[in-house]
Amino acid sequence: MNPIMETQAITMRFGGLVAVNEFSMKIGANDLIGLIGPNGAGKTTIFNMITGHYLPSEGKILFNGESISGKEPAVITQGGIARTFQNIRLFKDLSVLDNIRIAGHSRLSYGLASSIFRTKAFHEEENKLRAEAFELLKIMKLEHRVDSLAKNLPYGEQRRLEIARALATHPKLLLLDEPAAGMNPNETKELTGLIRWVRDHFKIAVLLIEHDMKLVMEVCESIYVVDHGELIAHGGPKDIQNNPKVIEAYLGTTEV
Amino acid sequence: MDYFLYLTQMCGIFIILAVGLNLINGMCGQFSLGHAGFWAIGAYTSAAFTVFVAPPLPGFIVLFIGCIIGFITAGIAGLIIGVPCLRLKGDYLAIATLGFGEIIRIVIMNMNSVGGPRGFTGIPQLSNLFWVYLWVVITIVVIANIVRGTHGRAIISIREDEIAAESMGINTFRYKTLAFCVGAGFAGVAGALFSHTTQFISPTNFTFMWSVIILLMIILGGMGSITGAVVGAIILTILPELLRFFGDTVSQWRMVIYSVILILLMMIRPTGLFGKHEFNPLKFLKLGGKS
Ligand SMILES: Nc1ncnc2c1ncn2[C@@H]1O[C@H](COP(=O)(O)OP(=O)(O)O)[C@@H](O)[C@H]1O
Ligand SMILES: [Mg+2]
Repeated sequence: MNPIMETQAITMRFGGLVAVNEFSMKIGANDLIGLIGPNGAGKTTIFNMITGHYLPSEGKILFNGESISGKEPAVITQGGIARTFQNIRLFKDLSVLDNIRIAGHSRLSYGLASSIFRTKAFHEEENKLRAEAFELLKIMKLEHRVDSLAKNLPYGEQRRLEIARALATHPKLLLLDEPAAGMNPNETKELTGLIRWVRDHFKIAVLLIEHDMKLVMEVCESIYVVDHGELIAHGGPKDIQNNPKVIEAYLGTTEV
Repeated sequence: MDYFLYLTQMCGIFIILAVGLNLINGMCGQFSLGHAGFWAIGAYTSAAFTVFVAPPLPGFIVLFIGCIIGFITAGIAGLIIGVPCLRLKGDYLAIATLGFGEIIRIVIMNMNSVGGPRGFTGIPQLSNLFWVYLWVVITIVVIANIVRGTHGRAIISIREDEIAAESMGINTFRYKTLAFCVGAGFAGVAGALFSHTTQFISPTNFTFMWSVIILLMIILGGMGSITGAVVGAIILTILPELLRFFGDTVSQWRMVIYSVILILLMMIRPTGLFGKHEFNPLKFLKLGGKS
């Protein structure tokens, strides 16, 4: 099967620093893949290149067989790649409902004049968007929060809302940047189930950056390990666990 | 002209200016300090139309066309200035818009056909309370309806978090430009109403100081609240007139008094009087109205 997304030897340099060096990966249309590595390894930088926030210094990124390097982040999202952020970036002062509706913006087609004159098209599309948002919030177990401001949600729910918001763009590939960061073991466990469920329910591909090794080993079918910007291992959870290079990379830093 | 009538009309004109700037600064989060420039463009183009080219039509039609001309010319100026400036962020954007606002004024200063530094005289008084407040209503309804639709949510998402907005598929540059042009356009309408109220305009009416005062109006009322912009505009239009009762000295210290009020406000209520909240008369009267 053709991969839905593929990076071909992408490199990112910041001045003299090589944050990512010739990184190549492939993701199938319904894969759940992990991307791990110690702090500063270059994982978030890889995400930023895929989503168009950074332009790779070298290499190419293909999505559905087409090159997306150099496209604006908004265009890439409209094309079907959505993401969450390592440091939650919700629209804090807006309601949960608005957070979700904003993600549906590019699917609406009514114009500014429709909005000003409150035409039939405006009401129809807005009602549909609203209904979709409610449905999504329901399956993400956030419906009791519809009118709360995003900033007033407990931490775990903020993480969940960010995933819901990404899903509201109707992606084919979902990128999650350390979704379990700052969660307690209970929340992490719940999240593990959610990630797998999201992949199955929406039939999308998921690429997961995670620090929590246990989570990654549990949900991912295939794992890429980076260290100092280099790909050092790639394989199933078992192979990765026993890979001496990976053990060294993790023990070399004081984290694990 | 009756003093109170004049003051009431000026309140309306400043409401239009403040509600327009609020779309740019308060809703979209783009720090613009050039609003007086767009105001000037509307005032001058509409006055030039009335004085030099208007066919002999009833006054209110001439004024209406003047307002539309003000909206379009100021909106286009907003586009021309917005496209290069809106790539800048924060302080840089503020400085660039400030510069453009002053450039507009200096260009007018050097145009003898509209009076140059001496000012533009002989503009017929076509505006009155009714037309000013009709435009106040139009401005508020148009901007409130934009804000409560998907384009408005896109504009607000930029204020909330520009990077996240991009990642949600929103063309941030396009919506910044939209907010900027609509805000500038209504400043142009305010200009048309102003020149046809005062009958005399000069470049000194549109200095950078006025951009700051309009900004103070929305900070006072609460950035991001249309209700706040209206209330802020009324307070800061009437306050200097009240200060006059205390004599010339107090009047001259107007800006100092503003600053003190602002500092106090920031200490007591940093989000402005209304924060980001709106007073919704429908909800207030329990007639419904959903988010
Ligand atoms: N915009 C940037 N400018 C300069 N250096 C950066 C930038 N973004 C990331 N880096 C550097 O790239 C390296 C990889 O960072 P990052 O991708 O955030 O790591 P990870 O997500 O794996 O913890 C780090 O050394 C970081 O300091
Ligand atoms: Mg990271």
